[in-house]
Amino acid sequence: MSTEAIAAEKPKRNYNALFGLTLLALLVLLWVILSLSTSSFASANNISNLLRQGSMIAILAVGQTFVIITGGIDLSVGAVVGFATVIAAMLINAGVPVFLAILITLLVGVAIGLFHGFGIVKMGLPPFIITLATLTSLRGIGLLMTNGNSISINNDAFQEFSRNSFLGVPNLFWMVILVGIPAYIFLHHSRWGRYLFSVGSNAEASRLSGVNVQRTIYMAYTLSGLCAAFVGVLLASRIGIGNPTQAEGWELQAIASSVIGGTSLFGAVGSVHGPLLGAFILATINNGANLLNVNAFWQRIITGALIIIIVYFDGLRRRGGK
Amino acid sequence: MTSTAQELHPAPVLEPGRTILELRGLEKRYPGTHALKPVNLAFKSGEIHAIVGENGAGKSTLIKLLTGVMPRTSGEVIWEGQPAALATPHEAMALGINAVHQEVVLCRHLTVAANMFLGEENSRFGILQQRAMVKEAQKIIDDLGFDLPAHVTLGDLTIGQQQLIAAARATVRGTKFLIFDEPTAYLTRKEADQLFTLIRRLKTEGVTIIYISHRMEEVFELADRVSVLRDGTLVGTRNIAETNDAELVKMMINRSIEQIYHKEHFTPGAAILESRNLSGKGFENVSMTVRAGEIVGLYGLIGAGRSEFVTTLYGRHRKSAGQILWEGKPVQINSEHDAIKLGMALAPESRRDQGLCLNLSVGLNLNLPIYKRISNNLLISNAQERTQADRQIADLRIKTPTRSALASSLSGGNQQKIVIGKWLAHGARLFIFDEPTVGVDVGTKAEIYRLFSVLLSKGAGIILISSYLPEVYELADTLHVFRRGKLVATHGFRTADHEEILTQALAEKQEKLGGQT
Repeated sequence: MSTEAIAAEKPKRNYNALFGLTLLALLVLLWVILSLSTSSFASANNISNLLRQGSMIAILAVGQTFVIITGGIDLSVGAVVGFATVIAAMLINAGVPVFLAILITLLVGVAIGLFHGFGIVKMGLPPFIITLATLTSLRGIGLLMTNGNSISINNDAFQEFSRNSFLGVPNLFWMVILVGIPAYIFLHHSRWGRYLFSVGSNAEASRLSGVNVQRTIYMAYTLSGLCAAFVGVLLASRIGIGNPTQAEGWELQAIASSVIGGTSLFGAVGSVHGPLLGAFILATINNGANLLNVNAFWQRIITGALIIIIVYFDGLRRRGGK
Repeated sequence: MTSTAQELHPAPVLEPGRTILELRGLEKRYPGTHALKPVNLAFKSGEIHAIVGENGAGKSTLIKLLTGVMPRTSGEVIWEGQPAALATPHEAMALGINAVHQEVVLCRHLTVAANMFLGEENSRFGILQQRAMVKEAQKIIDDLGFDLPAHVTLGDLTIGQQQLIAAARATVRGTKFLIFDEPTAYLTRKEADQLFTLIRRLKTEGVTIIYISHRMEEVFELADRVSVLRDGTLVGTRNIAETNDAELVKMMINRSIEQIYHKEHFTPGAAILESRNLSGKGFENVSMTVRAGEIVGLYGLIGAGRSEFVTTLYGRHRKSAGQILWEGKPVQINSEHDAIKLGMALAPESRRDQGLCLNLSVGLNLNLPIYKRISNNLLISNAQERTQADRQIADLRIKTPTRSALASSLSGGNQQKIVIGKWLAHGARLFIFDEPTVGVDVGTKAEIYRLFSVLLSKGAGIILISSYLPEVYELADTLHVFRRGKLVATHGFRTADHEEILTQALAEKQEKLGGQT
């Protein structure tokens, strides 16, 4: 490539990188402030805890971001997480080998995602409606299957996974990397990623350009379902039970992380690193507020305010940048 | 001109013949386009003033300025002797300026009565007086001689009936100046007659009517005066009694075309696409051939079936009968995907809605059809993505700072080039251009026409759809005229004159009259 072409690439890269760096700076700033103002924040124990707390929302946010980029929304992810803990717990307790139990759980997530795609593409339902419907009914199905009880998982190795660390980093955080790197390659370096953006920007133009819009939508929701089921497995491992009412409201945290990370709810704008940073910013705020003995109710208010501030400034800059 | 009206109707509300609205140097510029060059024109109260001109001549810009939808760039509007800002639709309505648009802009889910009083509901202590409103609306409708119920949902009426309601709505609001924008486009003859009765009646009440239409016979039937716009310039105003069809057409289309239309003739090669007795939704029994190196022009009014025909060729709609041959072999085209695979490319009529992903980069738009080719099973080759995009940007001289600039930041003409560029990269052989120069300034038009020659020289064939006669006339090697879903005439390059072609495309009205009475 000529140097000219490389120079030409700069503006957009700069913008994306700049926004990412701003988020990273915000995260580091929070960490510095909390390290200075509390004695316990900087402890290895607390940091590990923080990483564990943030990891699951981060993975959910990545799947959610794929959907939002196409201009849709997936409200079901929290319910899918809860449902997946039940499936995983039942399978493991029934003596199914752990790896097979995980695989089946993930396939259940895929099936739920395909169902969402079917509802949107074939039945013409708005994404909001079809995923809202699964949100409530999955909780119901899970409660039916468990009679409303929690299922204790009797497999220590399975539970230890989420408590252990590798190279000093909690296993759960490694899972973020395990999901994040392929997700990054998929979104930014494969044609399917490009199609997610193009469908979110203008489905009609994409269709006329030969893009299979229906398949793209199926793919986005399937990946979101897959991420959610994976988080369900991780959560089952962490709390050691299967319970369909777990992960209440996580879909909103995932959406918030995604939006804080620069994803546009109008579609066609988003990244992988943004939602990851967004999820850890939210986790840090919650963690810090706990340490500072801030009333738990305030945490919710702070999260809400943060969403408004970040999205407002991002929008300002996007408009100003034109 | 209004003297006849005065004699017939002795009690006009406003004094006819007085200037009600005057435009002084009214002008509108968009970035890169001079949509309306300074216009000086005075409208008299109680006159029906027709405005004619081709698509893109500036008619809709003028309406938007008068109704306060858009701010003007410069100039003055004098309303009843006072300068008026006309900055908002609300201000225009408060003065008494209303418009009835070609497309009905009302709430389809509300009742006719609710629509009639939308924004001015009749309520007592905050409670809507629904029954009273229905009654009042019914009275207005009956007075106007429309045989329509006021209590039904608007969406249950035909488009034509909805149009009548829109017109009725405009009359009850103290309107002194009413603009009709192609109101009869969707009306049956009977509905059109009802509308004309209403318009004549408004005229006797001293209301000024601006009547915009493509249909010459309506202009001559209704108007007192007619103004012609061409390329954003007011060419002239005539009293209807002192002009004729031929003069108006000449005023509408006469221009220095040689500078713009760049036409190279190539010897046509083998047939690329052939349609045999093709029928589908909106058109029937169309047969034509597109050969390598030739431009096939499709001319007709909007709604004549040209767009429907090509979208069927492109696999969007199913054909109901007939056959499509590609390079001599019969083919089934069931989806856009099939058409693209064969080597067809469509630059759609509405760039914004169908052609481009506006909030994504120029590069992504250019590469959209070829991502399969520039990626292996998993990854996109970044180098190829860059070279492909840069090559199209250079080849087509797309004016963009970088390939990463958003498509929305480019001018209309350059956006059109992106649409063309993405298909060039794909290696298409048959290009379908649906109204490629709508909303594009003259300089870019010329560039787009040069691109046609580039495509032809590479052995491609072009189908060019246009409602702008000079465009197809000067560019098409074969010119097909569509009317009401049928291919009614075929001409060679410049073998017919404008008037003949226009007559063939417009003859609809006489046919309709004959058919219905």
